[in-house]
Amino acid sequence: MFKELDPILHSQLRLAVMSLLIGVKEAEFTFIKEKTNSTAGNLSVQVQKLKDAGYIEVNKQFKDNYPLTTCKVTSKGVQAFEDYVKALQQYLDVGKK
Amino acid sequence: MNEEKPLSQQESLLIIQQMISTAKTEQKDNGMGWIIWGWMLFLASVFTLINLKFEWSANLFLFWNIFGGLAFVMMILDLIRNNFFRKSIKVKTYTGDLFMKLNAGFFISLMFIIFAINLGSRYIHEEFGKGSMVFVNIGFALLINLYAFWILIYGAALNFRPSVIGAYACFALGLTAMFINEFEWTMILHAGAILIGYIIPGHIANNEFRKIHSKG
Repeated sequence: MFKELDPILHSQLRLAVMSLLIGVKEAEFTFIKEKTNSTAGNLSVQVQKLKDAGYIEVNKQFKDNYPLTTCKVTSKGVQAFEDYVKALQQYLDVGKK
Repeated sequence: MNEEKPLSQQESLLIIQQMISTAKTEQKDNGMGWIIWGWMLFLASVFTLINLKFEWSANLFLFWNIFGGLAFVMMILDLIRNNFFRKSIKVKTYTGDLFMKLNAGFFISLMFIIFAINLGSRYIHEEFGKGSMVFVNIGFALLINLYAFWILIYGAALNFRPSVIGAYACFALGLTAMFINEFEWTMILHAGAILIGYIIPGHIANNEFRKIHSKG
């Protein structure tokens, strides 16, 4: 029986954001934008969706009069990511047979 | 990246691999800390050795005192730079956090050993009325051991083989230094440990870092 792939993660940009954040403690919005090669508008929308799902924490503050947004994965996000990778593995294993 | 594009399983896997590899790149050390620290220690050992041969100064520890002064000034400059002039760090990694705490622990232990060397030497001088190099030689052996421990954790955390090999070589040199009671040989072993433990891995790390970042 195949597990369904988590629709929150099964999207190009959201998956990229989660894969990037999973390996670090926290990252600035500008860093994520640069590494995922996305636009600020699109990234904001996807970050908000991940936040609403409880997969990431978003911290907004000001530094030297400039807005500074940082994101970090929550434990729920780590679990969801692990489940997603396991489910993905199942699909790929079947594809190999 | 286009959000609306439907994803295949293979594409998902590729995105995960690419992004994890990007995050890994951020954790690479440029090796400059090892290089600067390593060369300073190496030169202090070598100049002390030359001083022993040519007797430039009666103070055997002249170059170690210069090293200590320079290290202190650099530490202050680094603190000022980090607290007042550094731009915000765009990404924080777990290894970065570990290294900050590890470095603090390393410097505390370093000061502890240096203090113990001075205290022990003074005690012998006061008790027996003459100087002895026993504490100094054993102290340097302990310092080499401390470098090895620090290098091993660094190498293991970054999965950087040259540091892991360097660390074990340092342990061996530190152990050898423990049984040597000639200051000249202690300095040679110390310089060797620094070369293998800091300088060579530092330059290798720096080359790898530059290669990765020149690729963009």
